[in-house]
Amino acid sequence: MKNKTTLNRLGLVLVALFVLVAVFADIITPHSPWKRFEPYEKPSKDHWLGTNDIGNDILSELIYGTRASLIVGLGAAAIATLLGLLIGLASGYFKGPVDEWLMGITDIFLMIPRIPLIIILAAFLKSSFWIIMLALGFLWWTSTARIVRSRTLQVREMDFVASSKCLGFKNRYILLSDILPNIFPVVVPKFMLTVATAMISEASLSFLGLGDPSMKSWGLMINFAFIKGGLINEMWWWYLSPGVCIILFVFSIVLLGFSFEEHREIVIR
Amino acid sequence: MCAVQLEVRNISKTYETGLFSRKARFVLENISFDVQEGRTFGIVGESGTGKTTLGKIIAAIEKPTAGEILFRGNTLAVMKRKEFPTFRRNVQMMFQDPEGSLNPKKTIRKSLDEVLRLIKMPKGTREYAIRDSLLTVGLSREILVRYPNQLSGGQNQRVALARILLLEPEVIILDEPTSALDISVQAQILNLLKDLQLKKALTYIFISHDMDVIRFMCHDIGIIKNSKLLATC
Amino acid sequence: MPDEATSSLNIRELKVTFDTPLGTVKAVDDVSFELNAGETLALVGETGCGKSVVAHSILKLLPANAKIKGQILFRNQNLLKLGEKDLAQIRGKEISLIMQNPALALNPVYSIGHQMTEPLMVHEGMRKAKAILKAKDLLKRLRFIGPDVATRAYPFEMSGGMKQRILIGISVILNPKIIIADEPTTGLDSRLRDMVLEELRLVKEMDRSSMIFISHDLKAAREISDRIAIMYAGEILEIGSTAEFFKEPFHPYSKKLLDSLPERGFNPIPGTSPSVIHPPEGCKFHPRCTSRKEICSKESPDFVRIKDRDIKCVLYS
Repeated sequence: MKNKTTLNRLGLVLVALFVLVAVFADIITPHSPWKRFEPYEKPSKDHWLGTNDIGNDILSELIYGTRASLIVGLGAAAIATLLGLLIGLASGYFKGPVDEWLMGITDIFLMIPRIPLIIILAAFLKSSFWIIMLALGFLWWTSTARIVRSRTLQVREMDFVASSKCLGFKNRYILLSDILPNIFPVVVPKFMLTVATAMISEASLSFLGLGDPSMKSWGLMINFAFIKGGLINEMWWWYLSPGVCIILFVFSIVLLGFSFEEHREIVIR
Repeated sequence: MCAVQLEVRNISKTYETGLFSRKARFVLENISFDVQEGRTFGIVGESGTGKTTLGKIIAAIEKPTAGEILFRGNTLAVMKRKEFPTFRRNVQMMFQDPEGSLNPKKTIRKSLDEVLRLIKMPKGTREYAIRDSLLTVGLSREILVRYPNQLSGGQNQRVALARILLLEPEVIILDEPTSALDISVQAQILNLLKDLQLKKALTYIFISHDMDVIRFMCHDIGIIKNSKLLATC
Repeated sequence: MPDEATSSLNIRELKVTFDTPLGTVKAVDDVSFELNAGETLALVGETGCGKSVVAHSILKLLPANAKIKGQILFRNQNLLKLGEKDLAQIRGKEISLIMQNPALALNPVYSIGHQMTEPLMVHEGMRKAKAILKAKDLLKRLRFIGPDVATRAYPFEMSGGMKQRILIGISVILNPKIIIADEPTTGLDSRLRDMVLEELRLVKEMDRSSMIFISHDLKAAREISDRIAIMYAGEILEIGSTAEFFKEPFHPYSKKLLDSLPERGFNPIPGTSPSVIHPPEGCKFHPRCTSRKEICSKESPDFVRIKDRDIKCVLYS
C-alpha cells in the first residue's frame, strides 16, 4: 500500500517539476536558446550539454523544449478528451439514433490512418505547431469517446439516475451532476495517457522532419541531432538528453494518471 | 369507497429478440388494474417477471410499447406540458438496491438539498425541511456529512425515502425496498412505511416476490406470471 | 464412521480487527466455538456481525489490513500459524469455501467439464480421463439429468440455478472434510433457495463432512443446521441445538430477532446496530435491550450454560 502512494507522489512531483520548468523557462535558461555560440561544443562549464550544429546551447534548448512539448501534449490531449467526453456522454446517455450517428462518425474517424494524415496535412499546410496540436486532438478523441460512452451506459442504468429522473431533474442536470462525477475516474487517467501519447507523436513527427521549426521541441532536437551529425559524431549529450526528457515526462504522467483511478475495496461485511 | 387515483390500462412492453428474426418478446402483456387512493396495491411475481419494468412505466421513467396510464383521470401520454410536472411530483419511485439509490459521489446533505433546490425552496426553509425529513424517517443529523458508502443498507433506504418525501408525493412506487436488507431492518422499514401511509395519506404500489411482506403491507394484490396479470384481489 | 480428529474444527478466542482510516474495526471480538464431526453449524447474524469474517479467517482469506489473534485448530494444527504453502494444501481439499453468489464465478470461456476437473488434476494429480469420470459421477449424484452433455457444455448454456449447483459441486469435488457456505441463499428467490439448500444437504451427506452455514436467513438456518450460533457485533450471543433454539430462544436479542420475522409479524428491534469502531461498553446489545440492568453497561457478561445452550447474558446467571 505504501509503495503505491510513494509512486503517485513521485509522479506528481515530477510532473510539477516539468510544468515549473516550462513556465519559468525564461528565468531558468542559462542562455537564450537562439543565441549562437561556437557550434558542436562538448559539455563544459558554460554549456552543460554543449552546443548544437548552429551553436545554440543545448541545455537552453532542452528547457525551452519543455514548453513546446508540454503545450502540444496538453493541448492535443485537452481537445481530444473534451471532444471524446462530449460525444461519449451524448452517445451513452441519449442512446437511440443519437448514439448510432455518433458512433458511426467515430467509426469513420477510427478508420482514418492518423500519422499518414498528419504527414499529408503537414506537407500541404505549413508545418505549424498549432496545426499539429489541432490535428492530433481531432483525431484522438475516438478512444476516449468509446470509454466514456461505455461508462455512461453503465452509470445511466444505476438506480440513482432513475431516481433523479423520477424526482424531476432535467437531463442537463442529471448529466452534469449525476453522471459526470462518476465518469471522471475513467476520464482523468485517459487524459493523462493521451498527453503522453500526444507528446510522443509530436516527437515522432518532429523527428520525421514535419515539426514546426520555429518551436524548439524535444522531438525536433532529436531530429536535428540525427541529421546534423550528432549521432555520427557520438555526441550523446545532444541526442540522448531530449529522449530522456520525453521518457521521464511520459513516465511521470502515467504515474500521476494511475493515482486518479478508482480503487474499489472489497469489504467483507 | 376510495377514489381511484391511478389507472393502468392495457400496458404492454415488448423487446425485440433474435439477430435475424426480430421476434417480439413480451415482458408485460396487456396489464390492467386500478389503484385506489390511500391504499397499498401489491404487485407479486417471481424475480425477473417484469415487475420493475411495470413500476418504471407507471412512474413514467420508461415508456410502454402499448397501453396507457391515467393519473386522476388524465392520460399521461397526452398530458400537456403544464400538467406533467404535477404528475412528476406526485408519483415517485423507490428502488431495491440501497447501494445504488443514491449518487455515491454526493453527500447525503447534497442529495437532499438538490431536491429542495429543484422545487425552488429558499435557503432558510431548506435547512428546516431537511432536518424535518430526517426526523420523519428516523435518522440523526450526523449522517448529513456522510457518503452513501459509509452508511448501512437500512440507513441508505431511509435517506432515499426522505428524499422522495421532500416532494410530498401522493403515490410512491416501492420496488422491493427491503429485499436487500437484514431481517430486523426490514421490519423497521416496513413499519415506517406503514406509519407514513397513515400520517400522510400515501398511496403505495408495492412490488415484491416475498409473499409474507406483501401480506403485511398490501390491501390489494395483482399477481404477474408469464408477463400477464393473473388476478387481483 | 467419520473420523473425529479430521472433521472437527476448534476455534478459540478468535479476534479479528481491521485498520481503516476511520479507526480500528473490531470485526470479531473473542469468538470461540467447536464444529463437531458430521454436524452442520449455522452462524447467523445481521450485516456487520462478523460471521463472514470468521469464515474467511478460517482459511486466512482476509485482506492485508486484518490482524488476527487466537487459534483455529484443525487436525491438531493451528491454521493461523500455517504458511501459505501449507494452507494452499488445505484450501479446497480439506476445507472448502462456497462463496456467495457462486453463479458469477464460472469462467465463461471454459467448458463445465474443464472447470470441474481442474481442481482434481491440479490438486490430486489425476489424469484427465479419470477426472472426467469423477466429474460426471458428481453431476449424477447432484441429480443432473445428462451428465455427459453437461460436462461438454459452457456456462452460458446453463440457467442460473444450474450454475449455482455446478459451482457448489466444484467446491466439494475434492471431498473436503469441512464445507463453509457463506450466504449461499442470499438474493435468491424461494425456488432457487430450496434447490441450493437441498444441494448443500446432498454434498454434505456424500462425504459425511461437517458444514458451517453462514447466513442472515433464519429460516434457511433452521432447515439445514443441527446447531446454531447467533452473532451480534462480533460476538456469539447464544449457541445451542437448532431445534431447541427455535422452540425457546433465551437471549433478549435472539428473541427480538425471531420476533422481527415475517411469521411473527415483522416486529422491529428498536435502535440500530452498533458501530464496530466504537462498540458500546459492557454488553454490546444493552443499548437496545428492554431487559437491561445496571451492570449491562459496565461489564461484558460471561457465558452461562443451560442444558446444551450457552448464553452470553446476565439474566441467566
